[in-house]
Amino acid sequence: MSAGVGVDLENLWIRFGDFVAVRDANVNINGGDFFSFLGPSGCGKTTILRAVSGFLEPSDGRVLIGGNDMKGIGPNKRPTALIFQNLALFPLMKVWENITFSMEIKGASVRERRKRADELLDMIALPGQGDKLPSELSGGQRQRVAIARALCAEPDVLLLDEPLSALDLKLRQHMRTELREIQQRVGITFIYITHDQGEALTMSDSIAVMKAGVIDQIGNGKTIYNDPSTAFAASFVGENNVFRGKIKRIMGEEALIQTNRSGELVARISTANQGKMKEGDAAMMFIRPEAFALAPKGAKGTHFVTAKVNNEEFEGNVFNIFMEGDGGKELKVSIPNLGQSFEDHTGQNITLEYETKNAVIVPAGELAAE
Amino acid sequence: MKNFSFMRLSLWVYLAIFFAYLLGPLVIMSATAFNSPSFPRMTPWECLTFEWFSALFRDERILNGIWNSILVGAGTVVLSVAMGLAGALMLTQIWPKLRATYYTIIIAPILIPGVVLGISTLVFWDRINRMLGLGADSFLSNGLFLTIIGQSTFIASYCMLVLVARLQRYDIALTEAALDLGATHAQAFRKVLLPFMRPAIASAAVLAFLASFENYNTTTFTFGEYPTLTIELAQKVRYGITPAISALAFIIVVLTVFAALFNEASIRRKQLVAEARKKATVEELESGKLRLPGFLSSNAAAVALVVVACATVAVVGTASVYSPQQCIANVQEQKRLETEERIKELRRQRELRRQQQEEQGEAAPAQTAPATGSTGNNSGFGGVFAPGSLSGGSEAEPETEQEPQGNNSGFGNVFDPNALSGDGGESGSGN
Amino acid sequence: MPSFLKEFFKRNGTGMGSLMLGLVLFWTVGLIILPQLSMLDFSFRPNLPPPEIGGPKDVYTLENYKYLIYGPEGGSQDYNAVDLKVFFRTLVAAVCVTVFNLILCYPIAYYLAQTKGNHIRIFALMLIIPYWINEILRAFALRIIFGETGVLNNMLVGLGVFDTPFDFIRNDIALYAGLGYAYILLMIFPIYNVIESLDRNQIEAARDMGASWPMIHRRVVIPYAKPGISSGCTMVFMLSAGALAAPQILGGPSSLWFTQLIYQQFNDNSDWPQGAAYAVVLLVTCILLVLAVMRLFKVNMGDIGK
Repeated sequence: MSAGVGVDLENLWIRFGDFVAVRDANVNINGGDFFSFLGPSGCGKTTILRAVSGFLEPSDGRVLIGGNDMKGIGPNKRPTALIFQNLALFPLMKVWENITFSMEIKGASVRERRKRADELLDMIALPGQGDKLPSELSGGQRQRVAIARALCAEPDVLLLDEPLSALDLKLRQHMRTELREIQQRVGITFIYITHDQGEALTMSDSIAVMKAGVIDQIGNGKTIYNDPSTAFAASFVGENNVFRGKIKRIMGEEALIQTNRSGELVARISTANQGKMKEGDAAMMFIRPEAFALAPKGAKGTHFVTAKVNNEEFEGNVFNIFMEGDGGKELKVSIPNLGQSFEDHTGQNITLEYETKNAVIVPAGELAAE
Repeated sequence: MKNFSFMRLSLWVYLAIFFAYLLGPLVIMSATAFNSPSFPRMTPWECLTFEWFSALFRDERILNGIWNSILVGAGTVVLSVAMGLAGALMLTQIWPKLRATYYTIIIAPILIPGVVLGISTLVFWDRINRMLGLGADSFLSNGLFLTIIGQSTFIASYCMLVLVARLQRYDIALTEAALDLGATHAQAFRKVLLPFMRPAIASAAVLAFLASFENYNTTTFTFGEYPTLTIELAQKVRYGITPAISALAFIIVVLTVFAALFNEASIRRKQLVAEARKKATVEELESGKLRLPGFLSSNAAAVALVVVACATVAVVGTASVYSPQQCIANVQEQKRLETEERIKELRRQRELRRQQQEEQGEAAPAQTAPATGSTGNNSGFGGVFAPGSLSGGSEAEPETEQEPQGNNSGFGNVFDPNALSGDGGESGSGN
Repeated sequence: MPSFLKEFFKRNGTGMGSLMLGLVLFWTVGLIILPQLSMLDFSFRPNLPPPEIGGPKDVYTLENYKYLIYGPEGGSQDYNAVDLKVFFRTLVAAVCVTVFNLILCYPIAYYLAQTKGNHIRIFALMLIIPYWINEILRAFALRIIFGETGVLNNMLVGLGVFDTPFDFIRNDIALYAGLGYAYILLMIFPIYNVIESLDRNQIEAARDMGASWPMIHRRVVIPYAKPGISSGCTMVFMLSAGALAAPQILGGPSSLWFTQLIYQQFNDNSDWPQGAAYAVVLLVTCILLVLAVMRLFKVNMGDIGK
């Protein structure tokens, strides 16, 4: 997809006094992509968005939209539209006036504006609600009005700052699909900010995982989930079990890792770290809870883990087993409920097995806070 | 339970005293505007008259003062609302380390005595004027300019306080959203921030105008060739007072009550409309068929407004046909009689005293005064309560008042000499 | 350009930013700071006819301040007893007016703030209406009442409280009543605003634990309302010490208020530097007094005007 206008960040630094909010960010966002910045709060993702929309000047580096340097160009002159975290609908304007505000600025007649507002209201499935005030709408309706208002400005790039965070869970999940549909229909570039990995994974073409002002990894959802390049990305996106240790031997794309608790295990070195790790390096191995299977008791080998069960719970679609893990963190295993009989193991040692391709090794690093 | 009702009782007594203190002077002052004596007083009630209103409208200086006050008020409103808004906006984005100092500076004019503000304005602009080598008739020493500047110094602080309260509820993201949608800073200000601030700006403007209109302390140093209404009033009040001033006060009171009721009524109406809108369905909104509540429905203030308006029309109507000549003539006749009585009485007393002195040497004089005084006041006392029904049938009152006065003329004599000396004493005591 | 200015213009736009900055600077520097400094400077200069201003005789001097303390040079007295007496009387009277207003207004502010209902709006309206009416007219109204043949005297004599009309004006009662009357609203509103935000549950909790009403006010309401009380007291004190209209209209012939002395120096004696010196003394004394009391009760400047 190269229809839309791309956005590039080149060596972008943003500082507030001594505090570095964004450190040397390099991102190429393809035109027409749904691109997400994913990270915990305070990681600098909103700062990047404000730099793209023009509310902040970079301290260093460049922001390019459609290949043009945006230096010195104010937010009102950039081909971007921002959907604010709190939506920032103008409280004293009616819905249709809100939606067509960008046309009012350009001096469009009331009739043109009315017409365009009706089209957009149809698109966001709120026909006939144009004469209400924003305060008379529900949360999800306001959300859609904010999107319509941004789209009415006909931006090349739509920026969304955690727009779903104020909605309840059901609505949030519904809006995910709706946002994705709108994006595919209008075909412009969406840049989406979120701390919710579920939103990022379901909607995005590409995701940048951020930690403390630094972009850890950029890739599509599957890559980020299955092939994380750092310990942070592995632990932040989805649930993951960590095994700390040292590289004992490298065997092509795989390595043998001497773990602190579970003996020697074999796993795949993540793609980004291929050829960069050597024997003796501190490393971390990650295995997803669903990648484990129960193994015969006492089985031994480099893809078996044995540990004591602390606790078990039944979640409906899965059985969760919590076992003594590494570094004070529990080891979590999810066994799909396929109608099999399931006995309680609490207090016992059990053995688990995994396939090597589902375990990934990255250099030791900081984990995401729970 | 007994304790509780005692509490309630003392609360109501307290409220009654409080509001009597607050409103009593205004009621009494208003009443004096309709009494015929040339010194504003409510007791004794002589004749209902509207002549003080015509005297007021004939007074060139008052009319000129009103015009000047309006000029000054308009200038002050514009300048202080603009400065107050700029000051309030600055307060929300000033560098945190400077914030406390800045706040102290812009709030200080409220606490600085008005006299000091007037003097400093006068002294400072006089100096600027001299530094620029301009003459005494330059723009900078113009009374209008100085008064507006001097008043705006502290009125802007009041405006700032009103505006900052509203601004604190403003989401800066709204301005950013407007900019992001392509508006210039000026457009974002005009189309988003200003409409949001409009109610507060309106309040600030009203407040500024009222503060300017009634300011005396600052203006008295700066007015120059432009005496405002307040200055003119002060001159009049200091050098002799007439009921024409009461008449002016009464007009202002009525206007104030009107404004207050109107404001109250429109607030209530807005609430009702908002409620109706909330209940309305989409179709009703769409088709414009939504029935909004009428202006008077469940709106006590609006009803009161209409009642006051009708009463005013009635009073003005009465004023145009009513003539107090007969009553005034009666009173004058009666006063003449009183004066004669008094002269006789004085003569008699002098005679008596001479006799007493001759008989007993030194005896206490004028022992009779207190005894007659307490009875003589009956008529005056009635007058305190009578004007309560001013807007209604007060035409009848002068007549009913006449009779007790006629009867009391013999006793009232003790008072009248006092009244005469009081006239002179009070009008001289103002300086 | 310093970075915060750059940031400021970026945030507000060049045009709007300059307008805003210009207005704020004009107000703070041109209307507040420079005139006060100018007045201070002026108060240290001799009273000269205009042509000699800036000439060799225009030097700094303490004459004007000395005059307040020692009186005219070669005067008969050691101290300027008249002016000093007026000065201290003004301060003491302003304190008394403030205390009187606080006692009068605290209950009503509490009542208005803690009671719900339509009649409260009417009360509030009745409170505000007198303040939409000219200051001079308010004083005038009181003069009608307190005059020798005024309503009050007629009433009191009629009731037999006094034998002869009492001269309220000569005894300054009218003046104090007038000053108290003039600033009621400024005392009520700050206290009302604070008490309104006090959670009723706190009072109910205290009652629940058996506290008496005086106790509740002393331990719960007054500590909470302290910023409002100090704000109201500061304003009433400063304004009554600086009042001019009420003393001119309601003061007896002998009772001068300090502002009247300033007024005389300016308008009757045409001695501007002397008047400026008196104004500086009044301003500085009042501010010091207020700051001292604020420190005593541990209140911040930021609470004023809330």
